[in-house]
Amino acid sequence: MKRLFLTVLLAAAVVMLGSGIAFAKTLKIGTMGPLTGPYAADGNDIKNGVLTAVEVVKANGGIAGFDEIEVLPQDTACEPRQAVATANKLINEGVNGVVGSYCSSATLPASEVLDEESIIMITPASTNEKVTSRGLPYMFRMCGRDDDQGAIAVKFMIEKLGAKSIYVVDDKTAYSQGLADGVEKMSAAAGLKVLGHEHVNQGDKDFSAILTKVKTEKPDVFYMSMQNSATGALMLIQAKRMGIKAAVLAQDAVYHPQLIEIAKDAAENVYLTFGYINDNAPAYKEFYSAYQPKFGSPGAYSGYAYDSAIAYLKAVEAAGSTDPAKVKAELMKLDYEGATKHVKFKANGDSGSNYIIRTVKDGKFSNYWNPATGELY
Amino acid sequence: MEYFIQQLINGITLGSVYALIALGYTMVYGIIQLINFAHGEFFAAGGYVGVIFMSYLVSQGAPAWVCLSGSLILAMAYCAMLAVAVEKVAYKPLRNSSRLSVLLSALGMSIFLQNGLMLTQGVYDKPYPTELTQGGFELGNVMLSYMQLFIVSLTAFLLVALNVLVFKTRIGKAMRSTAQDKVMSALVGINANRTISITFAIGASLAAAAGIMVGLYYGSVRYDMGFVPGIKAFAAAVLGGIGNITGAMIGGFIIGMVEIFAAGYISGEYKDVFAFVILIAVLYFRPSGIMGENVDDTRV
Repeated sequence: MKRLFLTVLLAAAVVMLGSGIAFAKTLKIGTMGPLTGPYAADGNDIKNGVLTAVEVVKANGGIAGFDEIEVLPQDTACEPRQAVATANKLINEGVNGVVGSYCSSATLPASEVLDEESIIMITPASTNEKVTSRGLPYMFRMCGRDDDQGAIAVKFMIEKLGAKSIYVVDDKTAYSQGLADGVEKMSAAAGLKVLGHEHVNQGDKDFSAILTKVKTEKPDVFYMSMQNSATGALMLIQAKRMGIKAAVLAQDAVYHPQLIEIAKDAAENVYLTFGYINDNAPAYKEFYSAYQPKFGSPGAYSGYAYDSAIAYLKAVEAAGSTDPAKVKAELMKLDYEGATKHVKFKANGDSGSNYIIRTVKDGKFSNYWNPATGELY
Repeated sequence: MEYFIQQLINGITLGSVYALIALGYTMVYGIIQLINFAHGEFFAAGGYVGVIFMSYLVSQGAPAWVCLSGSLILAMAYCAMLAVAVEKVAYKPLRNSSRLSVLLSALGMSIFLQNGLMLTQGVYDKPYPTELTQGGFELGNVMLSYMQLFIVSLTAFLLVALNVLVFKTRIGKAMRSTAQDKVMSALVGINANRTISITFAIGASLAAAAGIMVGLYYGSVRYDMGFVPGIKAFAAAVLGGIGNITGAMIGGFIIGMVEIFAAGYISGEYKDVFAFVILIAVLYFRPSGIMGENVDDTRV
């Protein structure tokens, strides 16, 4: 008798559990980015940004119609092939939307795969123009674009630094070289003398030969375009030791707390182009207070990843479903103050560039020059 | 002229690092005819032990020479033990198998150690306390930093010490005789296994010293830092005549110089190509390497 009772109880439990699964609706968000290899810092920033966004949304009551929001992080290793594989993996796991990836060279092929399945992809970090210029209907971008970034860099060198000559060094990735080529072209067009454009290999640690060249040429500005902030830090240390006096201008991929942590005082007074972030805005404070205790100070793209995920979740909530066409319509309607920028997507999926010049002062990044007004902050 | 001298200094510094790592390759090859692909990982591990201990000492306010020598000794000792353990686990059981199995075991060990470093130390760069090594001399436009001086003089010291060890001591004699003929030297009472372990330990501790110097010089270490210098040092060892200690030193300096001068005068993009072109050219005209003996048919 007792045994029968137990069996019935067990059966009832199983039925209840089963029905529970049947009714639970899970919203699945994939993240893509390099979690291993030289760019792992940035990939982890993206993952952490999305995790923080989901946590904040859950803490505020979640999204109506969904019992659970699940984050599925994938490692692209910054390789086009692996990026396509991870995109397929995310499709198989039934994701509704994707935040990623980091390297433009990985984002481009992966987005084609995701687009075939009509899955919305928002990149927080890929700045290459092609990302949004291909006309993919479900591709969005939270950060700025290289053509805007290069133009601001050249404007700053001429208007604020009064530079007459520059020397350009990049590390041959689709991103860093594309940007450096753009800066070289725009500089020449604006009347700056380009004294040289050198490339280093990824994985190099010794830049003494190249830096000796830079020192001998005596440029006014040394434009450093590195895909990896740690490599940028190594270059800064060696440049300082070499006694290079030129002003150093770098870009958004070098913008990372790691730069200061490794280069220390060699990073002082380095200029960088990066999107304007108002750290006093309430949305930024909300992001920071959720992120910081768990993952430490936010990396360069943590905030953009956070905003990308929040934008997607807002759109899903407004649409009341995960149907991509409906979510896209809601995404296009978004118009609010995010943690890192004002979120309003244009027809091509871009959310606009707001690059400014930042600098390192007393071991901290600070706003320096506003290209719109030509004034210091 | 100043430009040339500056590049020469850069080349000697880089060459010293390659030379130190190459010694380990060449010694291990000399004694058991094994290309130890895990050797680059000893270099990385040394860099990590160095940064952990040095950061601690610096935070305790220890003087610079204590930080440097203390962490150097600790890292060298740690990597020596690591190498002995690796040898016992991955190579000794395969001592009588075909060369290919040992080579694969070495590759596997390399991947294992690299992933071990990644899992325990994380994927981020670990910064060295570079404030210890600021400053230098400036003669005209030529910069000679204290760190470069430190690297070159420490390398010179270690090279001399190694030569004394190999050519003037009983251990060295045992190593040389084991390299020549393992069976016969065992018959006259030399413990071959112990000698092989000692060789691994010495090679790895030199790599550890190189790891610390690289970390200090460039400012940080990362879990996968052993791979590229490992390949370059392997090339240096082959260039010098693998199995030959003087050859490895010369090979290391040549690879370092070629790399710097190619980057300085031709192209930074293709500097590695030039280093390897030199390697191929030397091997083409002198297959045994610069200092290697002529190939002995009876031993192959």
